[in-house]
Amino acid sequence: MYVPLFTSTYDDAYAMIGLVDANNFYVSCERIFQPHLESKAVGVMSNNDGCVIARSAEMKALDIPMGTPAFKLETLRQRGEIHLLSSNYELYGDMSGRLAQLLRDACPDIAPYSIDEMFIYLDGLSDRQCQTLGESLRRRIHRGLGLPVCIGLATTHTLAKLANHAAKKQPQYQGVCLLNGQDALTASLLAQTPVSEVWGVGKRLAERLAIGGIHTAWDLHESDIKQLRKRFSVVLARTALELRGTPCLHMNALDQPRQRIMTSRSFGQSTGVKAEVHDALRRHAQRSAEKLRQQHSLTRAVMLFLNTNRHRRDQPQYFPQALIPLPSPSDDTRVILDAVRQGLEQIYRPRYRFMKAGVMLLDLVDAEQHQLSLLNAPAHHHPLLMATVDDINQRMGQGTIRFGMTDNDAPWQLRCAHRSNRYTTRWDELMKAGTHPGAIAACTSRT
Amino acid sequence: MTSQLPVAPALPLTSQPLPFPPLHGRAGFSGFPSPAQDYEPRTLDLNVRLIKNPSQTFYLSATGDSMEGWGIFDGDLLVVDRSISPRLGHILVAMLDEEVLIKRYALHHGIPHLCSAHPGYPPLPLEDADCQVWGVVRAVIHEYLR
Repeated sequence: MYVPLFTSTYDDAYAMIGLVDANNFYVSCERIFQPHLESKAVGVMSNNDGCVIARSAEMKALDIPMGTPAFKLETLRQRGEIHLLSSNYELYGDMSGRLAQLLRDACPDIAPYSIDEMFIYLDGLSDRQCQTLGESLRRRIHRGLGLPVCIGLATTHTLAKLANHAAKKQPQYQGVCLLNGQDALTASLLAQTPVSEVWGVGKRLAERLAIGGIHTAWDLHESDIKQLRKRFSVVLARTALELRGTPCLHMNALDQPRQRIMTSRSFGQSTGVKAEVHDALRRHAQRSAEKLRQQHSLTRAVMLFLNTNRHRRDQPQYFPQALIPLPSPSDDTRVILDAVRQGLEQIYRPRYRFMKAGVMLLDLVDAEQHQLSLLNAPAHHHPLLMATVDDINQRMGQGTIRFGMTDNDAPWQLRCAHRSNRYTTRWDELMKAGTHPGAIAACTSRT
Repeated sequence: MTSQLPVAPALPLTSQPLPFPPLHGRAGFSGFPSPAQDYEPRTLDLNVRLIKNPSQTFYLSATGDSMEGWGIFDGDLLVVDRSISPRLGHILVAMLDEEVLIKRYALHHGIPHLCSAHPGYPPLPLEDADCQVWGVVRAVIHEYLR
């Protein structure tokens, strides 16, 4: 089948794409409301399987890897050397929504890519102005939300991701890095980057590329596009074009296996009908679940978002998002659909005309690793059923078998012994400010 | 600095969906617009009055009785806007020695200090204080009936 190289798969073409990525997002959210955790080693635990899913820089420096079970860290915790918190998805979801809103107020267009990563789209600005805007956004986000972020700016999604990586890892950029695709900076950065770190190039593909003499992002950048397409794939050819500064990949193509999965699409026509919105979300959820099973992962939380058309200033605007943590990691379409249904109940409001909907799967865990643990008896796991569904859909076409509503109202009670307050979503859990030193301590001891 | 850049202005209705402006009334079934249509007011919305930057506004709860001199009572709700730059006269939420405290940013003998409304807590010279501003208090809500 002929697939054209240059298809405009994204909605609009923008001159500059930015990736705004929050540093250690879960830990940063906790620190806003518990300032005493600043510069301490802090880890956030998954709710029910009790392992580390997010770490502060100090925790990383202690060589405590992701996924470490909580019981192994008990001694360190008791000695007060580390702080472990249960995940507080309600708080993280709200802070993520605030970050998206701040960016939406400042940029012509944005697209949430994950709970802690947003693309911004800029137009009509010089490189220098983009750089200045990036620096000012970074300051405003830090002051206004208390979140440290890094921003990568470039002409394509793939380059923006690389720029973001550089902004994060190399202190000289001070958190904002702009690659214009043509200059010496782009060339030297590409030469330093192993091809496996380029978005969309997996480990196995990197091994195959190495045989062909392609080791770095620069090698890929220099490769012959037609040859890449013939010997590898259209997607890889497009990736190489993206490295040269030609935008040709949609955000949906940029999934990072084993980290997050995202499916979003604009509606053909804006709609306010709940059933239609739900139907779109269901389709995105099913597609996401398939991607999840393809890479043998399980998800711990489902996030969904809706957008109205922000270019229609005459219509009321509403950009809600919801985050539903799962009781245990799952790849079951029905569990994910049920979470989507709950999320939609939370955020749907009549009388708004929605333009776009998306579903994200967060905090993925390797299925095999997870099932090796005796503690994790899956509640209702039907790998055979899911595999059959995927197989039929692959052979007969996307959406041949679809899931209807599930009536499974599982009690979504999560274990959360060390969860911090839900400071931004519950009136009775607000952050306290003392009128004098010791006021908060006195109040806590009274109750 | 950004004010020179052509960035989009903030959208009017953002994450605060309520109260929704009433739909334009129609007189009966005839399809003629109601004569009152042009005068239809929007419902007054406290969110609009008290919250200028929804994404950067947080609610905190005041604890303690030594700010009563400024009308902040124990249990009052603080509307804290983090997007505002602190200026003299503002009431701030600030972090001092790992504690989150309410202070007034004011001149004392001509020098900026963090002040308390209570004689037991003398003003702290800003230069000496290991202080980080968390946000500026835009409003205090004191509920008489709860």
